[in-house]
Amino acid sequence: QSRESVIVKNYSPQAYKFYMEQHVENLMKIYQQRVERRRQLEKEMDKVGLSEEAQCEIRRLLQQKESNYMRLKRAKMDKSMFKKL
Amino acid sequence: MSFLFGNRASKTFKPKKNIPEGTHQYDLMKHAAATLGSGNLRLAVMLPEGEDLNEWVAVNTVDFFNQINMLYGTITEFCTPETCPIMSAGPKYEYHWADGQAVKKPIKCSAPKYIDYLMTWVQDQLDDETLFPSKIGVPFPKNFLSCAKTILKRLFRVYAHIYHQHFSEVVQLGEEAHLNTSFKHFIFFVQVSDVEPLAEE
Ligand SMILES: [Zn+2]
Repeated sequence: QSRESVIVKNYSPQAYKFYMEQHVENLMKIYQQRVERRRQLEKEMDKVGLSEEAQCEIRRLLQQKESNYMRLKRAKMDKSMFKKL
Repeated sequence: MSFLFGNRASKTFKPKKNIPEGTHQYDLMKHAAATLGSGNLRLAVMLPEGEDLNEWVAVNTVDFFNQINMLYGTITEFCTPETCPIMSAGPKYEYHWADGQAVKKPIKCSAPKYIDYLMTWVQDQLDDETLFPSKIGVPFPKNFLSCAKTILKRLFRVYAHIYHQHFSEVVQLGEEAHLNTSFKHFIFFVQVSDVEPLAEE
């Protein structure tokens, strides 16, 4: 029995469960990697001995990169994910 | 959290008895909190240091839409106009569809119809480039957070319907832990984001 809707589709429970398991693992990984990038940056900056002002600017740049990365991910997530499954 | 409990004057949300609104949400939250111990997920939904709240809410809203769409997709055969002639979350709550734009007068319809309207409406919001800009450098509109709040509030109803009307089928499919994880993730996110600007009306 198929549904007319273009949005709501049938999914197998196996696909859903697999997706959720991967997803939670991924969320934790994404979180940890982000924390790690920041930690790494601080370590590097410490070594070089930058001015407070320069440090702020570099942090801002990393932040901007993280934001952009999230936006690209959202665009991809939104458009393509349902066709693949 | 308060925004999930519905606008008190809303015509689309009808508590049937004179009980405090939000009770079923509260029970669901307690249930979700009891079934999953891990606090790690809470870290993953916190706004990362220095991150733009709009960007963060946007990516998470898309994520929850996907999770809920897939989840509901696993129980479509159990959620039919016959089994669920009205969109409800337990005997006390009944929803009529209205989006406030194209559909102003609430429509009384079956749960599958309601959820179809709801998910289609959310997808349209997510696809709206002026609301959810996907290109780097394009800013979010000023009303973004209040729009996202409405989307999350509506998505919540799908969880509520599944918990109240289809939990036995979810158990039968062996996906209750996944539903609980998804819902708990949602609640964490909403709590974390609601404390800040989402709480402002
Ligand atoms: Zn149903």
